[in-house]
Amino acid sequence: MKIKTVDLTKKYRIGPSEITAVDNVSFEVDEAKFMVIIGPSGSGKSTLLNLVGLNDSPTHGKVFIDDIDTSMLSNGSRRKIRLSRMGFVFQTFNLFPTLNSLENVEMPMSLAGVSRKQQNEKALTLLDAVGLHARASHRPKELSMGEMQRVAIARALANDPEVIIADEPTGELDSRTAKEIASLLFEIKRNEKTTVIVATHDEKVVDVAEEVYTIQDGKLKSEN
Amino acid sequence: MRYTTVIKEMNVLFNGQIMVASRDAIVIQAIPISGSMLPQNFTMERIREVEGVEKSTPILFVTPMSLSGIVQTVPVNFSMGIPVKDWKTILGPTPLKGDGAHYPTNETSNEIVVGASLADQYAWTVGKEVVLSGKQLKITGILDTKMALLNRCVLMPLKLAQTVHNYPGSVNIIAVKPAEGYPQKNLTGAITKKISYVQALTEEERNDMIQPVLAQVETWNVGMQTVILAMSLILVMTVTVMTVSERRRDFATLDAIGAPLNYVFRIVVLETSLIGVLGGALGIGLGSLASLVLASLYTNIPLAQFFPSVFEIVPPFYMLETFVAVILVCCAGGLVPALNATRMRIAEILRAEY
Repeated sequence: MKIKTVDLTKKYRIGPSEITAVDNVSFEVDEAKFMVIIGPSGSGKSTLLNLVGLNDSPTHGKVFIDDIDTSMLSNGSRRKIRLSRMGFVFQTFNLFPTLNSLENVEMPMSLAGVSRKQQNEKALTLLDAVGLHARASHRPKELSMGEMQRVAIARALANDPEVIIADEPTGELDSRTAKEIASLLFEIKRNEKTTVIVATHDEKVVDVAEEVYTIQDGKLKSEN
Repeated sequence: MRYTTVIKEMNVLFNGQIMVASRDAIVIQAIPISGSMLPQNFTMERIREVEGVEKSTPILFVTPMSLSGIVQTVPVNFSMGIPVKDWKTILGPTPLKGDGAHYPTNETSNEIVVGASLADQYAWTVGKEVVLSGKQLKITGILDTKMALLNRCVLMPLKLAQTVHNYPGSVNIIAVKPAEGYPQKNLTGAITKKISYVQALTEEERNDMIQPVLAQVETWNVGMQTVILAMSLILVMTVTVMTVSERRRDFATLDAIGAPLNYVFRIVVLETSLIGVLGGALGIGLGSLASLVLASLYTNIPLAQFFPSVFEIVPPFYMLETFVAVILVCCAGGLVPALNATRMRIAEILRAEY
């Protein structure tokens, strides 16, 4: 999946003041690239990823996916793209607490209408790939932080996405686990030819990146 | 419900007959409440003189009747004194159970027949002697009927009833059967014209008198149900708003990973419907049990005696109606929170997480 943004701007109104979270951002990321966006808290990383991940609409500017202007798409079409072509990894994992690891991974496939048998087989394969086959029946509260993030990554891969959007995926993890997660994301990019866009301020993730951008006060700058 | 049943049954027993009671009595269907007694012979003679009277039956109807010294909060036991020769006219072909059971044979005997519910409660059998108002009476039969009124009734010859209840030569209601083709309305007019101290009520008039009372009870019931359902609706809505609020991150995550637009809506409504199904089933079970316990407490009839008639006290249709209403209320209670859940701004919720 090729993603391109043109003059992307997002403004928020908080009381009487207007805040520009993303300011005229234009970038392009090709298929199977590992892109990292670094910046301090409040710099606009998450807002930018929400815009690129079609979870939010820009105030100005456009997001193109494979040269299609996403602003022209219906809500339903944007949902379909998120479900079948994108995978999301969140800082706080966002696993469903009442479901076990296997069911969490099966969820996107269930939403996509994949048969029950295929869901189960694929989820077990993905849990195996992230080293958590033995923890398939465990609920999130029974897992460590690192394990939870691995389950979240397995879930993000469930529908064979063309891009993985990860917002601070190592933010809650210790140094060793953070390194493992960064390596895992890179492995996914290399093996699956998946585009990976990560927002982080963790250098262990930056180390494996192919394209690095910094964001400050909503303005994006290439570090390549 | 039980009283409504008893009131309706009275109309079955005295179908097609005019009921004559003292002018100051309140008559509910055929049950005289308070009011003066009627001198039996004097009144009967005058009624017979009225044109269009085919048959008249004097009855002594006494309620409440205390048995075994138990104080009852509401009257549940009845005593009816009917002339022996007229029993068939009033009771129809009601069978008796018990070995050697028979209806009393003469007016001055001490023989009585009792309702099955009373017999069960006090372990009365045919041939057993019981004491009522200090008089020794012998049970000669147990009424085999499903009528609530007769099930809690002690039936005795009129003269015996007048002695037992200390109303010698008096009755409080007279059932009058009009001659064939003779209009009830004309007959009541003639009776009240001839006997100044009585009121005579046609079947239609008795129904008209009781309808407003039954309608009021019905209105009260509907009002209570509406209030309870409205409160349930608010409660379900409040609880669901809170649970949706607690799970907004899960719903935002579902949205983010591309769940269809109505997916979250369906989850919330389905959950509240499930609460309705479980709550409705539990409520009907506990509510029915509570109504039996209350009925037992108010009437002093043992709880076990109510179990076989649970579907008469709480009719199945009423249970079904309540069950459906509870589910609908829970569904409705989930609609607003479900709509709110679908209107959440994913980006804002997810951003708040970081």
